[in-house]
Amino acid sequence: MKLDLDQLRDLIRLLDESNLTEIEVEHDDDRIRVRRDPAPLAVASQSVAPGAVAGSTHASGAPAAEEDEGSYVTSPFVGTFYRAPSPESDAFVEVGDSIAPGQVLCIVEAMKLMNEIESEVAGTIVDVLVENGKPVEYGDRLFRIETT
Amino acid sequence: MFEKVLIANRGEIALRVIRTCRELGLRTVAVHSEIDTDALHTRLADEAICIGPADPTRSYLHIPAIIAAAEITGADAVHPGYGFLSENPEFAETCAQCSLEFIGPLPEQMRRWGDKVSARALAKSLGLPTIEGTELVEDVDDAVKKAEALGFPVLLKASGGGGGRGMHVLESKEELRAIFETARSESRAAFGNDALYFEKFIERPRHIEFQILGDKHGNIHVLGERECSIQRRHQKILEEAPSVALSDEMRNDMSATIQRAMGEAGYISAGTLEFLLDDRGELTFLEMNPRIQVEHPVTELVMGVDLIAEQIRVADGQPLELPERPLSARGHAIECRINAEDPDTFAPSPGTITELHMAGGTGIRVDSGVYGGGRVPPNYDPLIAKLIVHAPTRAQAIAKMQRALSETLIGGIRTNIPLHQRILAHPAFAEGRFSTRFLDELQAERLLTAPVRH
Repeated sequence: MKLDLDQLRDLIRLLDESNLTEIEVEHDDDRIRVRRDPAPLAVASQSVAPGAVAGSTHASGAPAAEEDEGSYVTSPFVGTFYRAPSPESDAFVEVGDSIAPGQVLCIVEAMKLMNEIESEVAGTIVDVLVENGKPVEYGDRLFRIETT
Repeated sequence: MFEKVLIANRGEIALRVIRTCRELGLRTVAVHSEIDTDALHTRLADEAICIGPADPTRSYLHIPAIIAAAEITGADAVHPGYGFLSENPEFAETCAQCSLEFIGPLPEQMRRWGDKVSARALAKSLGLPTIEGTELVEDVDDAVKKAEALGFPVLLKASGGGGGRGMHVLESKEELRAIFETARSESRAAFGNDALYFEKFIERPRHIEFQILGDKHGNIHVLGERECSIQRRHQKILEEAPSVALSDEMRNDMSATIQRAMGEAGYISAGTLEFLLDDRGELTFLEMNPRIQVEHPVTELVMGVDLIAEQIRVADGQPLELPERPLSARGHAIECRINAEDPDTFAPSPGTITELHMAGGTGIRVDSGVYGGGRVPPNYDPLIAKLIVHAPTRAQAIAKMQRALSETLIGGIRTNIPLHQRILAHPAFAEGRFSTRFLDELQAERLLTAPVRH
């Protein structure tokens, strides 16, 4: 099995139309694996990819086209949302701040562990969507960001 | 008493627990994955928290997410249901460290009964009749020696196995030599543990299990038996209580033995002791499941007990309020597990349920986790509903179940209802003559006699 672009396109389409997150095809010694993680491909361009040290950002499942302009940083955990490293400190970010990839945006505390949530993109904070100290669920929107 | 219970599960068992909590005046928290946002347990609980994506290792099996959900909602107890984290001692320990009451046995009890070889040794030391078996085997030569001492046919089992996986029936030492290394690497791959041992193979056993309940004051009650021989690949499909295969004397003797043994073990909460019954009428201990089981409703119906409510009361430290004398079964109950699967090929059939009508009328109970318009996700177990009937006699219970199945309408997905209808209509089932081989034999018979389909 040679790597054939049409076949690859078919696989991607198949993945897109299904509930699967991964398709692997093996033939003789060749193997192709197509996977998506964690959000559907439809919103991948709007989302920020996972992989931050302390946590990951996550795209909302709703189609981006029907949403307001901009991207959202969503909570990778269930927990409690904190805007600052301690009650006396300033918030990590304020509306209007420019942010860089890897910059800490907030903390989500779960099981007494303070998980720093980092930005995966460069941009500007347009809105802070959760009040300091409030509980958040997995996938809740935390910040709206205008990417640059 | 606690005030708010988090249910660390989904589907019909999550609903089952929510219902009893409601009746006891307890508030409920459902946890759910993204794909279960519109699931029934999510909708019917007082609060619902999304804890992760559809992949269960990142949601229903993810301990930190569940504990965090309890923290942000102020839950003070956790019911684990069955499956998922229900038999995970680390989860029970983490709950305790976070001041959450785990509604179930103690972590050390889960550990003690979780490993099959040590569970059998423990059962033996407590005076329960155990199946003849060997210690763990060292290598292929040791295996041949141990198998010959036990006598072929033997069952080669993985110590870490479960749910019917990791077992081989062997008729001879040649067969054993041929399969030994494969079995060892299978076991290592499937259970992360390549320890193997033998049990005497019983040709056509029945699977009989006894329900127990223990409290924190040293009381143990035995709530009769369930007959669970109708299985496919060791997965139970249809269960009933009581079993036609036990005489009153056998039942009373075994109940007394179990009550003494588990009292000595100091067991807390609901648990089930599984036995094989051979054709000489001997019951031998197989394993102990330290949790509520799928088929618990048949016991509830014939014994008039709410097992989930008893688990909650026991966790709260209250003594069991069941009569001193052993309870005896009233009437007969049958449960059919309705699975989203093809009734012939058993292939899973997830999808959207376009229409749903469940049976009703006297003596019918439905424990379900689905609704019309709802979706059966492909990520989890195919059990979508349990249809349970209660009638004065077994014959009446069979007739009632046939009537109930004929009324049940589930559109948009395939279910195993036709399989249940074939089981109930079979003369051997009606006469109570069957073993754990029943379904295999039924399928073989069907292949031989099936009319040509158009």
